[in-house]
Amino acid sequence: MLENILNLVGFLVGLAIGIMSFIGFRNTGSPTLFRLTIAFFSISIGFFVIWSGYMLEDYVIKSGSVDRGIQTLGIIIQTVGYFFIAFSHSIKAFFPKSNYFRSVGILPFFLVSTVQLEHIFRSISFILLVYGAIETILSYRNNKNKGAVSVALGLGLLAFGEFLGWYSFVFPESILYSISMTIKIAGLVALFIPVSKVPLKKIKFDDDLDKI
Amino acid sequence: MGEYRTQMKIIGDILSTTRDDLQDENGATVTYLIRKANISHSRISRILKTLVSQGLLEQADSQGSNRYKISQTGREFLQAYHSFSKFADDFGLNI
Repeated sequence: MLENILNLVGFLVGLAIGIMSFIGFRNTGSPTLFRLTIAFFSISIGFFVIWSGYMLEDYVIKSGSVDRGIQTLGIIIQTVGYFFIAFSHSIKAFFPKSNYFRSVGILPFFLVSTVQLEHIFRSISFILLVYGAIETILSYRNNKNKGAVSVALGLGLLAFGEFLGWYSFVFPESILYSISMTIKIAGLVALFIPVSKVPLKKIKFDDDLDKI
Repeated sequence: MGEYRTQMKIIGDILSTTRDDLQDENGATVTYLIRKANISHSRISRILKTLVSQGLLEQADSQGSNRYKISQTGREFLQAYHSFSKFADDFGLNI
């Protein structure tokens, strides 16, 4: 039940930040805001997929354990979101440049089970989030923008939540997973604090501005 | 070394100049905008053409030279730009 609520909160908070980013993109045509829109919509959809898995289990399947495939799919979608946050900070060498390595790079994903995939994507998420948190706190050193502290804290909490989520495999069925989820939601709320201060009342849509 | 400015930041600087820092009520000349926005003539010409075509700037012929003033749409765009520039700053990013 707790997981249901936490995943639903994650979905809603991610969606709210995604919508805010999208409004910004529609008004300014900024590619940065477009990347943030994809990032937060992905994070939100990831939470939604995991929440759907829990709901299916609780009310339809009732097998006693959540489908790991759905859980892994949700985590992969969230990882895409974390990638776009890190990508906005100019990760230029994330993928190998060689076409050969690009073509075989995806091969290991077909050779591992969904449980192992979950491990892999949680660790990728952790690295991307730590990178994003460090870049954001470095930007605070330049502009002394207090909102950046809140965002860096949010990304840091999301990273810690991912780490605990991964570590919960050592102690399955323990409270560790719920703690991980709570920390991730706290991270999303910390991200939402500066976003909530954007004055939307005076901003209106204008389709013509997209072409700039 | 100078700070890197995105295309969006340059547009914001041009619109801010035409709103807050006009030479006179007739608007700003290209030369004045080049000095204030600190970019080349060829680049600012392209940007000004786009901004006029999008209705963000109004172009007027005064004393034999083109002058530029911000439009109402331009003011609204600039307001959105400042709001979301702060939003991106919070994420340590530039829009």
